[in-house]
Amino acid sequence: MKKCLLNISVHVLFALVSFALVSPALAVKDTLVLAVGGESAEGYDPILGWGVYGNPLFQSTLLKRDAKLQIIPDLAESWSLSDDRITWTVTIRKDAVFSDGTPLRASDVAFTFNKALVAGGNIDLTPLDRADATGDFTVALTLKEPDITFMQHMITLGIVPEKGYTPQYGRNPIGSGPYKLVRWDEGQQMIVEANDLYYGEKPAIKRLVFLFSGEDAALAAARAGQADVLGVPSNLAGQAIPGMRLHVVKSVDNRGLMFPTVPDEGKKTPKGVRIGNTVTADPAIRKAVNYAINRELLVSGVLDGYGNPAFGVVDNLPWDNPAIRFKDNDPDKARAILDAAGWKDSDGDGVREKNGLKAEFTIVYNAKDSLRQGLALAVSDMLRPVGITAIPRGENWDRIKTELTHSNVVVYGFGDHSPLEMYKLYHTPGPEPMYWNAGFYSNPVVDGYLEQARAAESFDASLPLWQKAQWDGTTGFTTPGDAAWVWMVNLDHTYFVNTCLDVGQSQMEPHGHGWPITANIHQWKWICN
Amino acid sequence: MRSIARFLAAKLARLTLLLSAVAVLSFVLVSFSPVDPIDAYLGPSILKVSPEQRERIAERWGLDRPATERLARWAGQLARGNFGESTIFNEPVLSVIGKRFAASFWLMLLAWSFSGVLGFALGLVAGAREGSRVDRAIRLYAYTMASTPTFWVGMVLLTFFSVQLGWTPVCCAGPVGMDPADVPLLTRLHHLLLPAVTLSLIGVAQIALHTREKTIEAMHSDYVLFARAQGDTTRGIVLRHALRNVMLPAVTLQFASLGELFGGAVLAEQVFSYPGLGRATVEAGYRGDVPLLLGIVLFSAVFVFVGNMIADLLYLVVDPRMRDAGREGV
Repeated sequence: MKKCLLNISVHVLFALVSFALVSPALAVKDTLVLAVGGESAEGYDPILGWGVYGNPLFQSTLLKRDAKLQIIPDLAESWSLSDDRITWTVTIRKDAVFSDGTPLRASDVAFTFNKALVAGGNIDLTPLDRADATGDFTVALTLKEPDITFMQHMITLGIVPEKGYTPQYGRNPIGSGPYKLVRWDEGQQMIVEANDLYYGEKPAIKRLVFLFSGEDAALAAARAGQADVLGVPSNLAGQAIPGMRLHVVKSVDNRGLMFPTVPDEGKKTPKGVRIGNTVTADPAIRKAVNYAINRELLVSGVLDGYGNPAFGVVDNLPWDNPAIRFKDNDPDKARAILDAAGWKDSDGDGVREKNGLKAEFTIVYNAKDSLRQGLALAVSDMLRPVGITAIPRGENWDRIKTELTHSNVVVYGFGDHSPLEMYKLYHTPGPEPMYWNAGFYSNPVVDGYLEQARAAESFDASLPLWQKAQWDGTTGFTTPGDAAWVWMVNLDHTYFVNTCLDVGQSQMEPHGHGWPITANIHQWKWICN
Repeated sequence: MRSIARFLAAKLARLTLLLSAVAVLSFVLVSFSPVDPIDAYLGPSILKVSPEQRERIAERWGLDRPATERLARWAGQLARGNFGESTIFNEPVLSVIGKRFAASFWLMLLAWSFSGVLGFALGLVAGAREGSRVDRAIRLYAYTMASTPTFWVGMVLLTFFSVQLGWTPVCCAGPVGMDPADVPLLTRLHHLLLPAVTLSLIGVAQIALHTREKTIEAMHSDYVLFARAQGDTTRGIVLRHALRNVMLPAVTLQFASLGELFGGAVLAEQVFSYPGLGRATVEAGYRGDVPLLLGIVLFSAVFVFVGNMIADLLYLVVDPRMRDAGREGV
């Protein structure tokens, strides 16, 4: 009797062990668990701004960008801009179908653009006048004035079906994208499946689960082997997670110091924010800071090596001007610039002054952001030897916005796949610029280039103009010219990826860590058996 | 019967007054909040959006109107049963609350009944054995818990049971990647366990200490002395004499603690990433979602009010003396 029992238990044990050994091989891995954020609390509605960071997943866009950020067709078969540069005529492909089976027509495209223009969401289509379907498969997008940066909306705005669009669309998105929504438990997770009706290359991974449970829980899930892709801030990238490798993606997610470029003359904006700082209004100060700081050291010291020195706001993007690079970590050059401009340390206290004004300013940063704090502190240390006092000060965004931003140096982060951002940062601002050109920088030559670039006949034609705005050989907003900002670093975005997962070549990512890694998700492959 | 009707009418009038006061006060507080809801909504894409578009968003949410007008319109709509639309979820406030409360409900129910039963039992034991080691141990536990913040207990439990021992899940209301409809009841309870335990560990303290006091009071009463003289055991005295007398204040306290339960749930849900009403409250606050925040405030006010009212009604049911007093009053 006893022997019989023993026999049975041995059999059971053997069966269990063999099952445990065999089952991983049997399981066909078609589900990935991603902890990269991306929950859109108000739903997945492009009209309210879903997808502004690219890749709306459920919907498809007229155009898209490849891994090198070149513009390639998606829904559009061809597109052209009229001679007056006002009207885009786009011909769309004929085989596109929404995931509920209804065909996608030009009227849906027109509806999407018109609706997004007035909906008041997280997307700004202001340059658009109207969109008209001129045939079943051609649509005309009419702008208010020439604006080549409008193409960014053709790249990011997902097309929704005209019929069946309701205010509840975001919770039940029907689109023509590579995936369709299966289930979304708000605040927890979202399950999506490949859309069989997708016209493009079908993704190899059939089912995705996005975890929205917060950073700590996501990390714990990854450690327990439950997540295949995990976005982590760079200070957590140093650890080892079993079964995962670190995947580092370059980005234009940059951090820079915004300098007020006008002197303090007691002026205020209409909302009462003080304007100007007499110290930083001197280009010599801004140039000296640019040359004095050691960007490599900022990357290794503050970013743990996960980043690159930044010299402009658009480093390595197609509209970047390579001529603006310079040798930093050069305190001697900084001292020479300050000497020449009349900033001298006459009282021997280690701080330069000019006309009785000390070379001193405050660097304000968002107190919640330890990375920005680290940068502000490090820069302050680097400026002391050249005779500039920079006082780091943590504040909350609200105070920065409503009191400090136009009269202090502020640590900002930018970085976008559209040159429009550059325009907004450096074009002469309106009376109440808020975050756009908070330093009131103004240079008529730069304005001219920026305006011409926006009004260019094609995206390619706009590139040299964007580059000239940065530096045309005699002037520009970058360090060789007016040195309006001091750009410090471009962050690397760090992810842990299952060693069995091939995520292909990731796009250079914009400001915003997490979701952008899904831009090439259709190319992801499971490489183990 | 008439007394009950009158009782309810009086309660209803009081509730209406309370709700209007709560609504106005919360609205005033929220309007002093430094959070700019449009900035919070735009998040990192602040820079992509022009001032014109900001105006459009403000218009969609009615933020372009003066605060007093907004309050009046909101109250007018509320009177017709319309709680408005949540700005961050882009969904009617009631449907957000409904969804989230469904998740919180089980957490709160579990924690509430657990802490009630356990707290009451501990209080009885401690009170009956006043001054003994058991009493001292229970008191030490109760005082420690009464002075411990919920989120801290949550974090300690999470570190110990979920991370170190791996007995309980780290987060969420169900396993990763599983359709909630397919999650078996046991798994669901497993995920609920740690947050519920956190909440009840704290809740136990108050009810235990209170019950202990009342039990001591009863144990020193004449009728207990009389029972003792008749040769009844401590156990018999507690079960037959003290229990009923102590029950009444315990019931009151248990229902009155619904407010604290609500507050505790907010913190516990935050720690355990549990997608309930508590987390929605925090998000609404952080992101300046005034309609949702006000909706939740009103909802929780009603919730607490109903809890207190049930306690009042139970008085009438449980205690014959109260029933008589009520009759005399008519």
